[in-house]
Amino acid sequence: MPPQALYVHVPFCLHHCGYCDFTLVANRDHLIPQYLEMLGRELNHYCREFTHRRKITTLFIGGGTPTHLSPKDLQTIFELIGRHFELSDDGEFSIEANPDGLCDERLSVLEANGINRLSLGVQSFDDAVLKTLERKHSAAEATETIARASNFIPNVSVDLIFGVPGQGLESWQQTLEHLTQLPVKHISTYGLTYEQGTPFYRQEKSGVLKRMPDDLERDMYLAAMSHLESRGFEHYEVSNFGLPGYQCRHNNVYWNADEYYAFGPGAARYIDGIRSTNARSVVKWLNSWNKGEPCEEDREQLTTEEKAREAIMLSLRRMAGLHVASFEARFQLSLQDLAEEEIRQHVEDGLLEYSGECLRLTQNGLLIADSVVSDFL
Amino acid sequence: MDPKFIRNFSIIAHIDHGKSTLADQLLLKSGTITQREFRAQILDDLDIERERGITVKARSVTINWNQDGQVYELNLIDTPGHVDFHYEVNRSLAACEGALLLIDAFQGVQAQTVANAFAAIAVNLEIIPVVNKIDLPVIRVDEVLEEVETVLGLDATDALRVSAKVGLNIESVFEAIVKKIPPPKGTPDAPLKALVFDSKYDNYRGVITYVRIFDGSVKKGDKVRFMREQVVNEVLEIGQFRPNMVACDELGPGQVGYILTGLKELSKVTVGDTVTLFHNPAAEPLPGYQKPKQMVFCGMFPIDATDFEALREELQKLSMNDSSFSFVPETSDALGFGFRCGFLGMLHMEIVQQRLEKEQDMDLIQTAPNVTYQIVKRDGGIMTIDNPQDVPDAGIIEEFREPIAKVSYIVPSQHVGTIMQLCQDRRGIYRSTEYLGPTRAQIIYELPLSEIVYDMYDKLKSVTSGYGTMDYEIIGFAAADLVKMDILVKGSRVDALSTIVHRSNAERRGRALVKRLKEEISKHQFEIAIQAAIGSRVIARETISALSKNVTAKCYGGDITRKRKLLQKQKEGKKRMKQFGEVEIPQKAFLTVLESAKDD
Repeated sequence: MPPQALYVHVPFCLHHCGYCDFTLVANRDHLIPQYLEMLGRELNHYCREFTHRRKITTLFIGGGTPTHLSPKDLQTIFELIGRHFELSDDGEFSIEANPDGLCDERLSVLEANGINRLSLGVQSFDDAVLKTLERKHSAAEATETIARASNFIPNVSVDLIFGVPGQGLESWQQTLEHLTQLPVKHISTYGLTYEQGTPFYRQEKSGVLKRMPDDLERDMYLAAMSHLESRGFEHYEVSNFGLPGYQCRHNNVYWNADEYYAFGPGAARYIDGIRSTNARSVVKWLNSWNKGEPCEEDREQLTTEEKAREAIMLSLRRMAGLHVASFEARFQLSLQDLAEEEIRQHVEDGLLEYSGECLRLTQNGLLIADSVVSDFL
Repeated sequence: MDPKFIRNFSIIAHIDHGKSTLADQLLLKSGTITQREFRAQILDDLDIERERGITVKARSVTINWNQDGQVYELNLIDTPGHVDFHYEVNRSLAACEGALLLIDAFQGVQAQTVANAFAAIAVNLEIIPVVNKIDLPVIRVDEVLEEVETVLGLDATDALRVSAKVGLNIESVFEAIVKKIPPPKGTPDAPLKALVFDSKYDNYRGVITYVRIFDGSVKKGDKVRFMREQVVNEVLEIGQFRPNMVACDELGPGQVGYILTGLKELSKVTVGDTVTLFHNPAAEPLPGYQKPKQMVFCGMFPIDATDFEALREELQKLSMNDSSFSFVPETSDALGFGFRCGFLGMLHMEIVQQRLEKEQDMDLIQTAPNVTYQIVKRDGGIMTIDNPQDVPDAGIIEEFREPIAKVSYIVPSQHVGTIMQLCQDRRGIYRSTEYLGPTRAQIIYELPLSEIVYDMYDKLKSVTSGYGTMDYEIIGFAAADLVKMDILVKGSRVDALSTIVHRSNAERRGRALVKRLKEEISKHQFEIAIQAAIGSRVIARETISALSKNVTAKCYGGDITRKRKLLQKQKEGKKRMKQFGEVEIPQKAFLTVLESAKDD
């Protein structure tokens, strides 16, 4: 069965925040027309063998800031997608947006084109934290945008960042409290990471930014879990919480190790058992499609064992854990044979546990999930 | 060659007083090598020696010198200049009749000047004092000569003044060699007696045996016997070093050169052995030397167990050219299979390590070095302990003994107090102080070898701003209140971290060590206790708290490949360490024993 999920990357932003290492350009709006043209070429190339429009059940338009595009350009994107894909009736169609500039006109375009889930990059309701993160909106603007946007698109998800230099536990708790008063269905909480190549990475190395102590960051994470769960949000993945029925279906495709199409610079796809990632440089991607050539940078076809190990890595990130029987049926191998020692050790150390038919992280394991999960790779 | 016209000599000096430079000048001025062939410090043919400016192995060269119309054959036998290589100095001196005692015109008599001069005096060599570096802007020749007389008891009236660097007064050196050093004695008709003073292995020619002929002569085709090893071989080639190997027909009394027999095993050629003729043997061999004793030991373990055989091969290769280095297989619970290696001293250890690193590309864990100990058991038996792991239960130990060194320091007078304090803190026993002049003094202490091997040299250099020098020799073993200190990581003893310490230092060392280890071992998924213990008694403890948060919330959109690679990198980081139980101990941690001892 062909992939049921589609990702489109829109690499434009008003400002490049210091912590962000996604593929994006700021102050390069003159590239937008060319981007749209090349996106069309890329879609034509990968979809050239389609005999009809393929149905997809999830769409995710991410960035960058997709809503940085004008209403007209947004309309163009939907038309480009619509040439090759058809949104199924009961699908989940998300777009990422920032509070600044998310005007009614744009919201109307999104709504009219089938977008039924909005993912807002709010990050905090503390103006000092927003300033540190170099965000261009205020807490008040974010609050206003959430309320207004939910009138157009009721399923609103909000991203938050914790572990920001200077941020206190109290500020974080206030942010959580404030957010859960607003009409949101889904919340993602991300610990700030200092990604190599970002200004934050250099500033942290040189001491300009002071990394938060692990213990405080852990307490923030724990605070998010307890607060959000008390407000009815289900913690279903390391950094994701949703009201019942509001898990992100598109992201679940990734965590299931299912296949998906992807377009745009830096976009990663998984088709016919092959994972590949487009050039992360916007200019490179543009130049390549200008010549009509695909520009995949990483391309790998995993062996069954590698696929199985990757599936462990992904499914342990979900609170439900790894369903052992399904896993073994899917990869035709025994989990015990694959990772007996790792499992035994982690269970003994109280980091993993069996719950029903699933193997999953304990709360202690969750806190150091990277360390636990990497042992299976 | 008539022995009348042969002179055999060494150059002895403190390190950096210009020995190799003078040797180069002798070769140049005599035309043994041309300027074109000249390479700086030609006698040091090992890269490491050149890098470090230290001569490790004895080498020899034959020089022709025309003095007043007569051609003399001068054999220069090089000696190493560092404390670890006393043994090699002595065996070179045994092949000579005289020695040039080279002294820096500014630095004057230093610790190894004294040690080397006394070694030469002990074997009755004619000693010619040579003051070097007289081209330097600041020199104190008169005081230096006074030191030679007072400290060494040598007549310095005819001392030579040269600059090897600029080639000044080199002729006077040749003249003194010819006129002052006695020609070798020896009977041409007596049965052959040739002293083996060095050997090395050559991939193409087999073992090259360096000899000094005392009696008789040897020719190509002779059947010879190595008297101690009882090896009989035919001589395939004899020759001299000029400085490259040049074959000759015969080597007679007093001459120095090499013998090739096609022998492939270096171990069959013992330095100090006597070569004689099979059919006309000498009755008695020449007095041999004592075998060098390894005093410092450490474990070497490949991180990747599959490198074990490769490591063995490398060690074997090294020991082929360095008979003073030893290794035996060793097993550690913590580190797996490896080798316990023995060295003459710390410098020797460093040199061997560097060679290993240079010649092969494998990740090694080296444990902290320790000296060799003796244990007298309750039943009267004596055990030699080269490895802390081998220390038996306290119950069967009657007496624990450690090696004691007589250490001689020469330092500027104002540092006498500091040095004495340093030695006192290290369980030293004071022996004597002697003033070499108004500004410098020689201090003699007896110190446990374990207290000096790690860092005494560095400490001395730092407290005397580089002006102090030292030399030591092992004088025996003495009983001491020694204990084995174990390190427990998460409740399990890590054998490779065990050390032998004096009871009075144990707590301090233990605390320092666990603190260091805490810094080296990274946080794990669980809490780790690091303890130092003597027997079952814990004397120090640190705790590494469990990793509190290590979860990258982001999943990088759909870029699973990137996520996986990041996590794989994290795992690779773990792999580079040695897994001990569940705890990963980085390579560096095994050297913290050494570092924490230095912190003391």
